[in-house]
Amino acid sequence: MSSLPFDFTPVDTPGPQTPDNPHAKATTNCPDAVSALQEQFGDAVREVVEYANEHTVLVERDRIVEIAEYLKANHGFTYLVDLGGIDRFTEEERFEVFYNLVSITTRKRLRLKVRTEEEDPVVPTLSRTYRSANWYEREAWDMMGIRFEGHEDLRRMFMPEDFEYHPQRKEFPLLGIPGSLPLPAQRPGGELTMDPFAAAHGSKPIKSYEETSDTDDA
Amino acid sequence: MPLEQSLGEGFLTTRVDAVVNWARSNSLMPMPMGLACCAIEMMAFAAPKYDVARFGSEAMRFSPRQADLMIVAGWCSYKMAHAVRRIWDQMADPKWCIAMGACASTGGMHRCYGVIQGIDNFLPVDVYIPGCPPRPEAVIHALMDIQEKIRNDYSVAQDYQSGQLPEGRLPQGSHVVTPAGDAPSKLVVHP
Repeated sequence: MSSLPFDFTPVDTPGPQTPDNPHAKATTNCPDAVSALQEQFGDAVREVVEYANEHTVLVERDRIVEIAEYLKANHGFTYLVDLGGIDRFTEEERFEVFYNLVSITTRKRLRLKVRTEEEDPVVPTLSRTYRSANWYEREAWDMMGIRFEGHEDLRRMFMPEDFEYHPQRKEFPLLGIPGSLPLPAQRPGGELTMDPFAAAHGSKPIKSYEETSDTDDA
Repeated sequence: MPLEQSLGEGFLTTRVDAVVNWARSNSLMPMPMGLACCAIEMMAFAAPKYDVARFGSEAMRFSPRQADLMIVAGWCSYKMAHAVRRIWDQMADPKWCIAMGACASTGGMHRCYGVIQGIDNFLPVDVYIPGCPPRPEAVIHALMDIQEKIRNDYSVAQDYQSGQLPEGRLPQGSHVVTPAGDAPSKLVVHP
């Protein structure tokens, strides 16, 4: 019995930092911007990680707007491709927000990160610097509960507006919390169905208003 | 003298229910509630290759007022459910509903907080189609099942409980043919 070849990418050890690393791409390596950031902002740049030729810069949360504006003005990072929240599920600085920036003129990509505490997670908004951040920040607020200070329209993106939870947080159960998302009423002005498995519990939705349902009396 | 002889050729006597049901079942206008990838198969179902015009249902009506068959194709979120139910409520009676695909029928692979685990939690589904997504033939089969259901229903009396006589709605001496409870093909004549 011969063994099958099994190729895998090791998770814990970084790959070789050479151009022959299949994951390494020259576009994600931007030492110029990183060194300029370190020079300009000093301690506000907390950590620079280079993995598989990608630069990730962890910066101080309070200075993210300043740093983004600097990169936009001086290094051509005019395009915010993505922004999102990460639940690290750690004791300190539980939530993280990443910003993927693209410079179209220099063909570079740079990732910025900020971290925030579990109690009252607040990050300054980037929606005035990059207009694309508007909906991304609404999504991060909806899914993670990270509040973006200064955002002019921080409503939920996907979930109903009266939903009480932030479903992408790690403590949120995958199947949801029963009763938190109502099903529609069977007739106008009727009671909302709070049981998500109403059909399994014997409820039969009515076909039209004229019809009397068996479950109405119950 | 029998009625047919007095009327001559070109006339045919039948029951009103049979005529109405024949017309209804062969002119179903689907309301395409395409929510996900099943909608693509639903388009194929309506398009020339599978040609649902053979069954009289090629006219997809995007207005609920003009539709009488809702095909819920794809997974339905809790947020969307309110819109779907509202559209269903706007459809005129009589109306029918098909849950197309695994997601609409049971939630399918979307076993998570945002997706309804089967649209029968808020809609009265007549026919469920398995598959992910179902092939257009399966949708046609479901449509034929709906047609079968309509033909075995009785239409003029407007009662929703099949196999039971509507109380107090019929004039004295009329005859109503209804399907017997568990066997839809067997008809029972009520004097």
